[in-house]
Amino acid sequence: MRIVLPDQSIRVVEHGPCPVEEVLVSLGINPLEVIVSRDGILVPEGTPVSTDDEIRIIRIAHGG
Amino acid sequence: MVQGPAVAVAPACACCTEPAVVYQPESRHHLCRIHLIRYVEERVATTIRRTGQVRAGDRIAVALSGGKDSTALLLILSRLFKDRQDVSLVAVTVDEGITGYRSETIRAARDLTRELGVEHHVIPFSALAGADLDTLLAGREMQACTVCGILRRKALMDTARTTGANKIATGHNLDDEAQSVFMNVLRGDLPRLLRNSGTDIGDCFLPRIKPLADICEKEIASYLFVQGRFAALPECPYTRYALRAEVRSMLSSLEYRHSGTMRHLIESKEKIARSCAGARAPGILNRCRECGDPCSGEICQVCRLRHSLGQ
Repeated sequence: MRIVLPDQSIRVVEHGPCPVEEVLVSLGINPLEVIVSRDGILVPEGTPVSTDDEIRIIRIAHGG
Repeated sequence: MVQGPAVAVAPACACCTEPAVVYQPESRHHLCRIHLIRYVEERVATTIRRTGQVRAGDRIAVALSGGKDSTALLLILSRLFKDRQDVSLVAVTVDEGITGYRSETIRAARDLTRELGVEHHVIPFSALAGADLDTLLAGREMQACTVCGILRRKALMDTARTTGANKIATGHNLDDEAQSVFMNVLRGDLPRLLRNSGTDIGDCFLPRIKPLADICEKEIASYLFVQGRFAALPECPYTRYALRAEVRSMLSSLEYRHSGTMRHLIESKEKIARSCAGARAPGILNRCRECGDPCSGEICQVCRLRHSLGQ
């Protein structure tokens, strides 16, 4: 699975199929602090993702 | 936890058969794009009705930083009041002058107000304090949020008055409100904990309304994203000095593991405020002996700040 992290870096992991939430937690990311898209479509934390997917993790808190 | 056991198929909306885009842990509902938009806008309308935040004849100054919360706020208010001839909106953007941060959000604010046809005013800190925030904070970065907050409130209030507004709407969401409650408890600041900026203002200040106060931050981000309006803007460079950043992270972690934590915090504050209602002495407002602005002491916060900055 190809994961675009909030800092735009890319990580490829052999993960899944599993829910998005499990991917986030395995990366040490609190699911409440991000939104996740797959192919540009927002997906909830329970969405199953597999090794063929690319997901983008977007941080939502900007502060200020 | 946000989600229960792993699911084998993509979740569907609780209101229709479309694929879900968000999960709401408290209600345990999944919502699709259309129902998320509807939910957020109806929730804001309900908050406004329940709290009587908007009345006929109001001219509302929307504090528009250009970030996600204020963008959602202006978008929702302009939709809710588009057919109301008796309510008008004006957007006010304060340009603190933070290198690498504010210029992008100001551009976003200009684009949005142009698209929505909302009158827009941009006020630079330099017009108020003689210098931008970066210059004012040289060597005192730890005080960034205090200095910025004092000057930003002043800039917002003065500009709102100039535009003829009788209320100020801010984009504070449920997460922000819970963080403020917890920060006031950590500081032992009971008066601030109990203060209601919508009513405890005497005749001297414009009341502040918070139409997004019942919507959590993630719902707002999702609401914008599904409309192609979520911009990944830079983070304020001074955020790392703020107590709020630590509180935000801690509360967010608690909320994830114990859903409803933030709402319970806010409800606790409201219960304490109701219990103390009869015992609270009304705040006495004076006029600042230097600038004449309303204040609780002899000198207002802005003048005190100017002195400490050597102005």
